Amino acid sequence: MAFPFPQGIAPSEIAFLAEMEMVTIVPRQRLEGLELLGGPVEPLAPPRRASLPLWLALLLKRQRRANIIPPTWLHPEPLSLILEVESQHQDYKHAFSPPPPLPGQPSMHEPGPEPTARPQYTPDGEKYFAAPPFLPHNTAQARTSSGEVPALPYHWIEVGNMLLDAASDDLMDPDQIRRLLKDLREVRMSKMRAGVDVLDAAATGGGGVALTGVGAMELGEERGFLTGVVDNLRKIGASKEQARREQLAEQRANGGYNGTQDEEEDYMEF
Amino acid sequence: MSYYDIDSILTDAQKLPCTFELEVPGLGVLEGNPGEDIKAGTRIDLPLWLGEMLSIAARIGTSRLVTLDMPEALSERVMNALKADPRTVDLRALAPHFYNLSERILELFEEEELVDVLTDTFKRRAAEIADQAHNPRGAVGDGVEFLRGLDETERQLFRAAHDRAKAMRIWAGEAKRK
Repeated sequence: MAFPFPQGIAPSEIAFLAEMEMVTIVPRQRLEGLELLGGPVEPLAPPRRASLPLWLALLLKRQRRANIIPPTWLHPEPLSLILEVESQHQDYKHAFSPPPPLPGQPSMHEPGPEPTARPQYTPDGEKYFAAPPFLPHNTAQARTSSGEVPALPYHWIEVGNMLLDAASDDLMDPDQIRRLLKDLREVRMSKMRAGVDVLDAAATGGGGVALTGVGAMELGEERGFLTGVVDNLRKIGASKEQARREQLAEQRANGGYNGTQDEEEDYMEF
Repeated sequence: MSYYDIDSILTDAQKLPCTFELEVPGLGVLEGNPGEDIKAGTRIDLPLWLGEMLSIAARIGTSRLVTLDMPEALSERVMNALKADPRTVDLRALAPHFYNLSERILELFEEEELVDVLTDTFKRRAAEIADQAHNPRGAVGDGVEFLRGLDETERQLFRAAHDRAKAMRIWAGEAKRK
């Protein structure tokens, strides 16, 4: 408390982390392949699509050397679908819409053959399975399966905002997207704040708020508040918790006695 | 609750009603008449740190010097008000460090019901604080009355929530950086 710096990381820092997300671009100019710390960038040849880190894509976009193809979820239809799920659907009244499925995770709406995760290989030839945040959630894959439910990736606020800022001419109906993103944020924020009611259970062990599907920026924004609430509830409930533990310890100490009593009862039955 | 935590120090300084069980010679200075004795049965408000020490002494074998009472801030009357509607009670007027004080009191007294009332109060008020903190017009309007009654812990909570929301708006370009 005496520490003057704000807790957690600032929005600009979260946005910085989001800039390593891969996005799809259509280059307008040739560019040799680049050897970057985050991995090699494929050579750009104009009509062919390529996947680049967001920061590089934004740079090329600003220099008018490329067009960004918006991620599959950053279109008016999937966004309004998610918004409808978030605000109308009975199951998601207190929960957030699910995050994009992991590779190998069976889709909820298509209980077909279980998809298998495709392993990837490190430069040393070791096998690994990519996990968030190293999954390409923001590329414009041609997803043909119709049962695919749109989902918000971990960095949805950051990527959405940055693309709206820098590449709004590449998006379909940017004004509506902006409005939908804002609505989504508000719906989800109010859900998170409503979670305060069940936080005392989280403070004394047991219950809690499910934060599945919550994005990085939302977590960053609510972190200070939620941790403060849990911490104070824990402090207020400390004496009760202490009493409960003592009671438990007492019960455990008496456990031996109870055990023998049960045995006696069993014995009486015979 | 660190050693240098100013809030913890200020909590220690909050007054607690104590009743002297014994006559103490020369301690009349506490009552405002130096040089006099303190009679047994006198009620004086002592700071938390002093009252705690004096009342705990009983456990080491000597007879108890003072008995502690519930402070006014945690009295039955306040608890009933909190049960009725936590959001209308001005906690700051009761005690600037209301929650810190009640934590310390709850260490001394066993009050299951008090814990429940306080937990519920804190939850209800925290939800209200969150709403106020995200109010883009800042702390003006209908919320002023409520925000003025926040105790120190709640103020920190409000500040955390408000600063974060503001930083977000600045990042998103919705608000101007000052």
